[in-house]
Amino acid sequence: MADYENREVPEGINVSPIHPLKDFALLVGGISAVILIAVVALSLLAGQFARHIPFAQERTLAASLGRWLPAAPEKPGERQRRDYLQALADGLAVNMQLPPEMTLTVHYADTDTVNAMATLGGHIVVFQGLIDTLPSENALAMVLAHEIAHVRHRDPVVAIGRGFAVALALASFSGVGDGVLQQWLGGVGMLPILSFSRAQEEAADAAALQAVLQRYGHVGDAAAFFEQVARRQSMPSGPTLLQTHPDTEKRIAAIRAFAAAHAAQTPSAARPLPAFMRAE
Amino acid sequence: MFDLILFLVLLLLGFVFGQIAEKRHFKSIIEREKTLRDILVFSERRIPDEERLEGILVCGSVVVSVDFFKRFVANLRNLVGGRVSSYESLLERARREAVLRMKEEARRKGASGIWNLRLETASIYKGAAQSVGAVEVVAYGTAVRERR
Repeated sequence: MADYENREVPEGINVSPIHPLKDFALLVGGISAVILIAVVALSLLAGQFARHIPFAQERTLAASLGRWLPAAPEKPGERQRRDYLQALADGLAVNMQLPPEMTLTVHYADTDTVNAMATLGGHIVVFQGLIDTLPSENALAMVLAHEIAHVRHRDPVVAIGRGFAVALALASFSGVGDGVLQQWLGGVGMLPILSFSRAQEEAADAAALQAVLQRYGHVGDAAAFFEQVARRQSMPSGPTLLQTHPDTEKRIAAIRAFAAAHAAQTPSAARPLPAFMRAE
Repeated sequence: MFDLILFLVLLLLGFVFGQIAEKRHFKSIIEREKTLRDILVFSERRIPDEERLEGILVCGSVVVSVDFFKRFVANLRNLVGGRVSSYESLLERARREAVLRMKEEARRKGASGIWNLRLETASIYKGAAQSVGAVEVVAYGTAVRERR
């Protein structure tokens, strides 16, 4: 027995000398970074593909999503407003050389929301709250032309395509049940889910300015809506539009610069909004 | 959102209690190892001076549970590979504790050494989804004492 001994084993030789929190932070950080890069890449790729979806297909998709747009107006006054907006949009579509297969459907919602939005299938929603802030038809035309430009640039379908690809990938990787995807698709019904990038907004602004210039011969009042937004920005609860439309000041400046560059020889007055467009 | 909060709370609880338990366990292991140092343990199968000694089977087993934090870190580690350090300390504790319990049994039986030590590891809850795993380590060997 004398030849046998148990030597003392030094502590910690069987365990990696890394603090568990550091290990955790490295793993979470590294894996999140990889996922983030993958999601961004996937989203960009999906956007590129979505751009090529035929517009007719986009309309079918929009129709299949169920009742997610404001219902058709029942009161004659609201119908009159809707028809006026539709006519204005159709006129602007001609100015903007919208491809013939791209049809616009304007919806009117009699709520205080200060917003207008373009969504899948050429559906544009205008809220009474927005109309109330606008001084003239020119200002309304600017907002409508901006939304039409989104439709023409296929921004809604790109946003939906991106969101869908990312949601699908995350759901299949995390193994979360299909209920989540359905929830997401249902969430599309909440229109503001569509958010456009700043570049998309700027492109839409530029196209809208061209359209308004072509229609009225000047772009007076075009910045009216954004000036209104800028005034409200100082208030704690700004309109929801602000979240997807950053840098209002910059956009006002861009519009003013455009207006200065295309100033009419004879200063022409803005066309007023018809009386029936004002809130009762 | 609720799921996320629950998850973070579980993670925090797992980390805090897991770390406290681990520190306390290691402290106790080191202390008890000192008191049982005189019982020698070998994996050697042939027992020297066999004719003078009698052998008794002794064993010690321990089950240690993984905490939520360790399990989460190990799952992340599964994605990228590498040393699963969160499980290394767990298994080290289990191994040493099992050997200690075996030595305690040997002491009760009046033995002076243990030969032919074997260690076995088993995963409890193996394959059961959504359960926090636990690991069992069994140490067994032949304790020897002077033939009476």
